[in-house]
Amino acid sequence: MKRTLLVMLSIYVVAVAVTQVAAQETFPNRPITIVAPFPPGGVADLTARPVAATMEKILKNPVIVANKTGAGGAVGMSFVANSKPDGYTLLMALSSISIIPEADKLFDRQPAYTMDQLVPLALISADPTILVVPTGSPWKSVKDFVADAKKRPGEISYSSSGVYGTLHMAMEMLSHAAGIKLKHIPYGGAGPAITAVLGGHQDTLASGPAAVVAHIKGGKLRPLAGWGAKRIAALPDLPTFKELGYDIEFYIWAGMFAPKGTPEPVLKKLRDVLRATVQQADFKDAMTKLETPIAYLDAPDFQKFWDKDAKMLTDAIKRIGRIEEAK
Amino acid sequence: MLETLQNLYVGFSVALSPTVILYAVVGCVIGTLVGVLPGIGPLAGISLLLPATFGMDATSAIVLLAGIYYGAMYGGSTTSILMRIPGEAASVMTCIDGYAMTRKGRGGPALAIAAIGSYVAGTASIVALMLLAPPLASFALRFGPPEYFALLLLGLLALAYMSGGAIAKSLAMASLGLLLGMIGIDPMTGFFRFHYGLVELGDGIGIVPVAVGLFGLSEILLTAGQEKPPEVIKPKLADLLPSREEWRESRWPIARGTVLGFLIGIIPGSAHIIASFVSYAVERRISRHPERFGHGAIEGVAGPESANNSATSGAFVPMLALGVPSGPIPAVMLAALMVHGISPGPLLIQQQPQLFWGFIASMYVGNLVLLVLNLPLVGLFVNILRVPYPLLYPAILVFCVLGVYAVNGSVVDIWIMIAMGALGYLLRKLDFETAPIVLGVVLAPILEMSFRQSLAMSSGSYAIFFQRPIAVSMLAGGVALLSLSLLPILTRGMDWRRALGLSPNSEPEKEDEK
Repeated sequence: MKRTLLVMLSIYVVAVAVTQVAAQETFPNRPITIVAPFPPGGVADLTARPVAATMEKILKNPVIVANKTGAGGAVGMSFVANSKPDGYTLLMALSSISIIPEADKLFDRQPAYTMDQLVPLALISADPTILVVPTGSPWKSVKDFVADAKKRPGEISYSSSGVYGTLHMAMEMLSHAAGIKLKHIPYGGAGPAITAVLGGHQDTLASGPAAVVAHIKGGKLRPLAGWGAKRIAALPDLPTFKELGYDIEFYIWAGMFAPKGTPEPVLKKLRDVLRATVQQADFKDAMTKLETPIAYLDAPDFQKFWDKDAKMLTDAIKRIGRIEEAK
Repeated sequence: MLETLQNLYVGFSVALSPTVILYAVVGCVIGTLVGVLPGIGPLAGISLLLPATFGMDATSAIVLLAGIYYGAMYGGSTTSILMRIPGEAASVMTCIDGYAMTRKGRGGPALAIAAIGSYVAGTASIVALMLLAPPLASFALRFGPPEYFALLLLGLLALAYMSGGAIAKSLAMASLGLLLGMIGIDPMTGFFRFHYGLVELGDGIGIVPVAVGLFGLSEILLTAGQEKPPEVIKPKLADLLPSREEWRESRWPIARGTVLGFLIGIIPGSAHIIASFVSYAVERRISRHPERFGHGAIEGVAGPESANNSATSGAFVPMLALGVPSGPIPAVMLAALMVHGISPGPLLIQQQPQLFWGFIASMYVGNLVLLVLNLPLVGLFVNILRVPYPLLYPAILVFCVLGVYAVNGSVVDIWIMIAMGALGYLLRKLDFETAPIVLGVVLAPILEMSFRQSLAMSSGSYAIFFQRPIAVSMLAGGVALLSLSLLPILTRGMDWRRALGLSPNSEPEKEDEK
């Protein structure tokens, strides 16, 4: 009796172990969720959806996009950072992933997550921001703009997607490099920030190229320079700040992350799938139409890119410090 | 004019092709369903279907997505009228009189009027969109932070002036809503306010959990608290269509709601929600019998439902004419256009006439589809009321919880809904209106943002509100409304009871102001 029980128990143990190994070998065997920490229609969401659709085809396994929004992305990012590291919950994050922990530190808050809770899988896209002004503005070049800003410190206003947001960071880097002081008016998102400049309510902004190219071609906005290391394809005549002698570089990027502790074979599989994803014609087509150039980097290179980017952003936040409104 | 007609002809030849009609129908059906389920609003519906449109041509895609948008605006009214649960935030005002009509056995006519009002408003506002888009769009662009602030202040004062009798009570509720709207990250400095350690409160309190809690949940609690269970209302087939009198009473509210909704819709922001509030306030104020409002006045259904539908078309004005999204939903639709390689921008109408006019024409078709689809469904929906309460209410609760969770995938939102349900129960026991709370929650973030942006622009000088012509004229309008509502108090002595709205009947005060 006892022996039968023992045998049955050992069979059970072995069976469980085998199925668990099998489960790992056959990853994925249930739906994968990609969390987009921003609302539908934003860069994270729009990048995540074609990625999910293509991954699904390659893996022959459902891949779902879930928008977990709130607190400038902190809700969704900390959700993934604290979820089970099994490869079934992934994150499509933007540059702001490096900003939030630093901003939390600034305000002595318990950070919602830390950057080392997440491991990078692949960089999907990176788009340099560009500096735009209304067509009616007197500034024809960065030189005009900087000269005028030096004459009237704190009077030229710029709109941004929000305080400590990516567009705020880009302008802070420019102000620091050029030694100028500008007036920051935050808006609730990049869309309203662009509208504010189109309506002539604010003087300038840094924006992702995709959102403003149509307005530039339609003659409403004039680009002055780009933050990239290279000129952007859509605007080949536009100089970069580096060419103009300002040592700044800034990208709005989107990349995939997994929680730390995800088993190595699963990470490898995900990286392989993502590498295949960015090479699919459908995916390339979707991203071209979104005017978001694919800038694929595999995990090791992405890690280097991320470290450098995070350092730049951390420095910028420290320079800005806490914002005290003038009484 | 002739050119417009020619263009429209081209548009209809696009819109009447069988595929496009099919997509319009599919869009309207999905939209209606999405609107009926509480919580899942048009935004969720559109973004879920966005990837499915990647393979379509641009016109079909935009027609499908637009169908979801205005389908949801209509669908939201169904649960509001039958169960007092706002299917989405713009249907909050419909809950009040729509549900009161249902309690009186007039749920069918309320649904029918909502469908017809939506159709009329939809169609009329497309005509306006077609003829007036470019000039109106450039006017909308002139709204900077000071103009927004003045507009919203005017809106709040107008609400106080127009609400029935209990001005102090509705202002108190609006203030409570504004306070709730202060929760979350400070938009200018990044500080967390009133978050009590919950990261989820960083973006503030959502409108959906507040609206579903205050309206739907509180109603269930109130019913459960009654000594006798309410009688199940068995709708008769003959009562499905509005009576002659109800038609007559709805005519002008529909017309006014259409115009108001369109104008408010053009201005970026949560336009369709605000449009329905303003329309309700206007109808109640100019009605000869304002005391009927809240007890099943059909004007209170016709006006707001028309307004939120025509606001939908209004919202397309800046999007199509300038490539500027006027809210999250047009933003997703702009993204959909970009997926198809069309750059939305000032040149869209010239460069893509097929798309623009096809889209316009398909909206005519879509609105007709919506009417044809929904009028027969009125009979079906009304039958939900035959389900006995012990079965119906638990089911409604489940849908509320699911719907609220679906918005952000957040459990905190469910707790907010439950807390708001309890608050709504208490307030309604004490005879407070809960709608102004929702308005406050909607307006607070925009009001605060525009106020502080304005002051940041002027480096702290309040003069900025008086230097810009649009802002000044709106502030002047606000002051005029305020003094009008104070006038009776000054001329007729200070009857504090009436000023506080404690008099049981608000009719005498109404006469005072004439």
